[in-house]
Amino acid sequence: MSRIGVFVCHCGLNIAKTIRVSELAEFASTLPDVVVARDYRFMCSTPGQEMIANDIKEHRLDRVIVTACSPLMHEHTFRKVIEKAGLNQYMLTIVNIREQVSWVTSDIEEGTAKAKALLNGAVYRARLLAPLSSRVIDVNSGVMIVGGGIAGIQAALELANTGKKVYLVEKNSTIGGHMAQFDKTFPTLDCSACILTPKMDAVLQHPNITLMTYCEISEVKGFVGNFDIKVRQKARYVNHDKCNACLACTEKCPGKGISEWDEGLVKRKAIHIPFPQAVPQKPVIDRDACTYFLKGKCRLCEKVCEQKAIDFEQQDTFIDVKVGAVIVATGYNLMDTSPLVQYGYGKYPGVYSALEAERLFNSAGPTSGKVTLRDGKEPQAIAILHCIGSRDKNNYEHCSRVCCMYSLKFAHLFKEKTSADVYQFYIDIRAAGKGYEEFYNRIIEEDVKFIRGKVARVAESSDEPGRLIVEAEDTITGKFVQLPVDMVVLSPAMIPREDSKEVGRLFNLSTDKHGFFMERHPKLAPLSTMSEGIFIAGTCQSPKDIPDTVAQANGAAAEALTIVSREKMELEATTAMVNPASCCGCQNCVRVCPYGAPLFNYEKGVSEINEALCKGCGLCASVCPTSAIIARHFTNEQVLAEIEGLMEF
Amino acid sequence: MSFEPKILGIACNWCTYTGADLAGTTRLHYPPNVRVVRVMCSSRINPSFIFRAFQLGADGVLVGGCHPGDCHYNTGNLYARRRLAVTKKILEFAGLEPGRFRVEWISASEGNKFAEVVQEFTAQIKELGPQQKLKIDELQEKA
Amino acid sequence: MSQAVTPYLEMSQAIIEAGGEALKKCYQCGTCSGTCPWTPITNFNIRKLVRYGQLGFDGIEDFMWGCSTCKFCVDRCPRGVELIDIVTAIRNVYSGGGMLPQSLRSFVGSLAARGNPWSGDPAKRNDWAKEKYPLYKKEMEYLFWTCCTICYDPRNTRLARATAELLNQAALSWGIPSIDVNCCGESVRKVGDLELFERLKNTNLNYFQANSVAKMITVSPHCLVTFKKEYGEDYNIVHFSELLASLIKEGKLKPKKDFGGIKVTYHDPCYLGRHSGIYDAPRDVIKSLPGVELVEMKRNREQSMCCGGGGGGLWMEKLKGERLSDLRVEEALATGANVLATACPYCITMFEDSIRTLNVDDKIVVKDVTELLLESLEINIDEPVGDMCEIV
Repeated sequence: MSRIGVFVCHCGLNIAKTIRVSELAEFASTLPDVVVARDYRFMCSTPGQEMIANDIKEHRLDRVIVTACSPLMHEHTFRKVIEKAGLNQYMLTIVNIREQVSWVTSDIEEGTAKAKALLNGAVYRARLLAPLSSRVIDVNSGVMIVGGGIAGIQAALELANTGKKVYLVEKNSTIGGHMAQFDKTFPTLDCSACILTPKMDAVLQHPNITLMTYCEISEVKGFVGNFDIKVRQKARYVNHDKCNACLACTEKCPGKGISEWDEGLVKRKAIHIPFPQAVPQKPVIDRDACTYFLKGKCRLCEKVCEQKAIDFEQQDTFIDVKVGAVIVATGYNLMDTSPLVQYGYGKYPGVYSALEAERLFNSAGPTSGKVTLRDGKEPQAIAILHCIGSRDKNNYEHCSRVCCMYSLKFAHLFKEKTSADVYQFYIDIRAAGKGYEEFYNRIIEEDVKFIRGKVARVAESSDEPGRLIVEAEDTITGKFVQLPVDMVVLSPAMIPREDSKEVGRLFNLSTDKHGFFMERHPKLAPLSTMSEGIFIAGTCQSPKDIPDTVAQANGAAAEALTIVSREKMELEATTAMVNPASCCGCQNCVRVCPYGAPLFNYEKGVSEINEALCKGCGLCASVCPTSAIIARHFTNEQVLAEIEGLMEF
Repeated sequence: MSFEPKILGIACNWCTYTGADLAGTTRLHYPPNVRVVRVMCSSRINPSFIFRAFQLGADGVLVGGCHPGDCHYNTGNLYARRRLAVTKKILEFAGLEPGRFRVEWISASEGNKFAEVVQEFTAQIKELGPQQKLKIDELQEKA
Repeated sequence: MSQAVTPYLEMSQAIIEAGGEALKKCYQCGTCSGTCPWTPITNFNIRKLVRYGQLGFDGIEDFMWGCSTCKFCVDRCPRGVELIDIVTAIRNVYSGGGMLPQSLRSFVGSLAARGNPWSGDPAKRNDWAKEKYPLYKKEMEYLFWTCCTICYDPRNTRLARATAELLNQAALSWGIPSIDVNCCGESVRKVGDLELFERLKNTNLNYFQANSVAKMITVSPHCLVTFKKEYGEDYNIVHFSELLASLIKEGKLKPKKDFGGIKVTYHDPCYLGRHSGIYDAPRDVIKSLPGVELVEMKRNREQSMCCGGGGGGLWMEKLKGERLSDLRVEEALATGANVLATACPYCITMFEDSIRTLNVDDKIVVKDVTELLLESLEINIDEPVGDMCEIV
């Protein structure tokens, strides 16, 4: 015989308006094992909470049912209440009569009847509840950050400054990300390198940061507080412990590779650092461009290296890292626009992608900051095309959010560096951000021409060879525009990294259909994910600009800190367990579990569940043919009892 | 008095239950016939829950989970989808009218859809009338 | 006079109800109007048409008939707007109100009274065949669906006979429909007369059902698309160019005659290309011909430019300078081709007209790929000229 207390909340009129609450409480007192039933205006208020606590003591209650709002609202609150009063927190049942009854029903008869049925089910279930003990685990105080762009750099510095150990993993040979490719940043026109490189250096110098460049994640095990991550250090063919960064090797190297840094506009050496301020300042060999790897002869770099740092035999190695939390900040790519044949990218030399244009402005870029076409001439007319692949159901439906602003920045830089006429072909100018509208106004006054219409076609001019014709309708006048230009800059969709689904799989993150990582809640938990202890920041979550990325990085650092600043943490007790007496050893549970929680004990011939890995979904319990697996708090008996209770009324 | 069916709803915590809450938060009214049991994941649903509900006289059973691919537990609903498809076949084999058991993928943001599905399903069950094929006392009477 | 207007949402609702649901999705970016081949040469503006439709403004009567339903804008639209549905719906709403332009009246009238757009006598639908070719019977494999245009239009009856001869050459089991059928209804549907379309469709459906038609061959891509997408049945239907390409591949038809190095360019009909996704089959037929060099026009395949004959355009008068077919013939001439090949009777008619009015018939001729293949098999169907005149 259990002793149940039922507490019916009015929630002001929110519930009381469509449910007769006192009738519900009276009804409750007639149900089996219910020893006390009350109703009260606000059960979550302090007097309401005290009422429950007092009744637990006075009536020696061993189970509590709160009939109120959704368990997603106040389950936690009431669990604490009954725990303080001496009950196990899992002896609580919430009946959701607000979100799922009073707010969705207009008739008081119907509302009251439905609430009674739900309450009856809850009583049936409550009688079968069992106390569960929460799990307490030690927390590792380190944090891993995946991705060394501005988001990763910012989060790493913030966390390292709190004294926590940080592992910053970057797949390229330098940190810096896309921001290091930019010349200026909107709307202030700050020099990108001037604000970024000090941070890159700070990362290198920081005693609490272990910088792991040219590395990729190969395996993630464990769970919040105790992740166990295997990192693959790709072979650099240069021993960085010996290298003193004299870069004599890069001068002599005859190998030519495509400069990723300069978006393929120029070549770089096979042994190289990506750009002058790269961090670390130590080179790697690009196997695909190295004369020795391709032809078996050369080794010039080895000859000039006084430190004897070149090592052609170097292999990939694996490093194990243990951390308590992870921040994923893997950034974005620009969409490849060459399949969109109407814009001529990859076909006409005068058509550039936005990142290529960025490099043309940069004094460390392929043209030393002079805006010239591929043939070395200065353009006389330039068209900047917005929304290429963005806001487009055939490609990416989302707005890439930064293109309007960087297109305005481009217009300014073109005006500054050339005497060209500059045209913007746009659908809407989206300039929501501090100082953005002001920047837009400034660019208008710089006499940039704005044509409202999405470009339909870029074609070769038949009259002037080498020139391009941009075709669009100016939707404001309804005129069909054919504009001769020398240069077309496309603002392509910002999309997730090509390996984001793979990274998502490693860290158990869900992605949207394109591969952007999903946050736990779009408004109230934008940096958390459905995987406890794993946070996201920056453009891997959705397109965003630098200020928002930095703000997210700081936020993610703080979120990670809430985990790693604790020594121990409590986990939900609603895990699965195996009754070894009925386990038939079929291993269905082992096969289906997405977390690898059930393991087969070959010695005993039965499955066992690692509770630290179990998330409590209950999948194993339903696939178990002998019902040997018990999903705690959602046992077959408990659920069936609730169903029975619901069907009685 | 018109026939008011009893319908059991089983909803996963992360998507459909949250979606049902959202229907409430946005004050969408729908018929009171569906009573929802919350489980953590649609994959927790043991077919016996559904059989038992029909034995106890449920006129319909509505199961809701996350959209395939969006499961909070990665793959749980994919298993659920297959298992529930088989369950449906067994129910029909046992003589139950096909319209009485329904699985819907309703996300946490689809409060509208939850309300619509409940509306539609309730109307459908009303059309079908009381469920007698699997109800225990009816079976006993026959025996 | 006041220049102010008020949105007339009843009109916009009427368009939506007539199938223009997609109105709601448009965000007026101008991709459609920038893509549309008519924008640079006429006052037709598809974006504006949608905008006027969204708000129910009047004043679209002047230009709403300009669309030839080539589907270029639909393929490019970033919002997935089914622009052809909107055009059809708007025309339906307006033609319901009696706003049909003069040049389309005889076309619609003929369809209503005679079941074909060419004012042809229904009893003479099969006269082109001179009883040389069999009527379809249940035990036959293919129904060779003879489009009204190849039955009545003198230029295109040649295509009907060419097709029939090739079917015989390949020794297929086939027959033509009896005179109980009528136009597939494609153009009249696009002109907006949905009621008449339904009537025409049902007549054909009755014939198909009564004769247990399962497999069909069409030469007009317009019929092809209509049977596939608008008849609500799942027919096994091929365009003749597809069948030819596979017959050549299987060795059942072997091109013989060497054309001696002529240049042929191929024009993708909108309804075969963008509407049906068939680009390679007709090109494969051309490539199989000895002594023929296939040269491409600048705009080809998915980017191909419309001839202007779709959406009722074939029956509308267009001023010089406002004809797409003229521009297309010029584009073909620029390739240096001697033959402008295509695979659609509408395109053939449009190009024949343009070649005549541009006075370039000494430089280029229009041929269906079927006709080219027939020629390479050295079969002459032009001998009984006298008979042909009688039919016409």
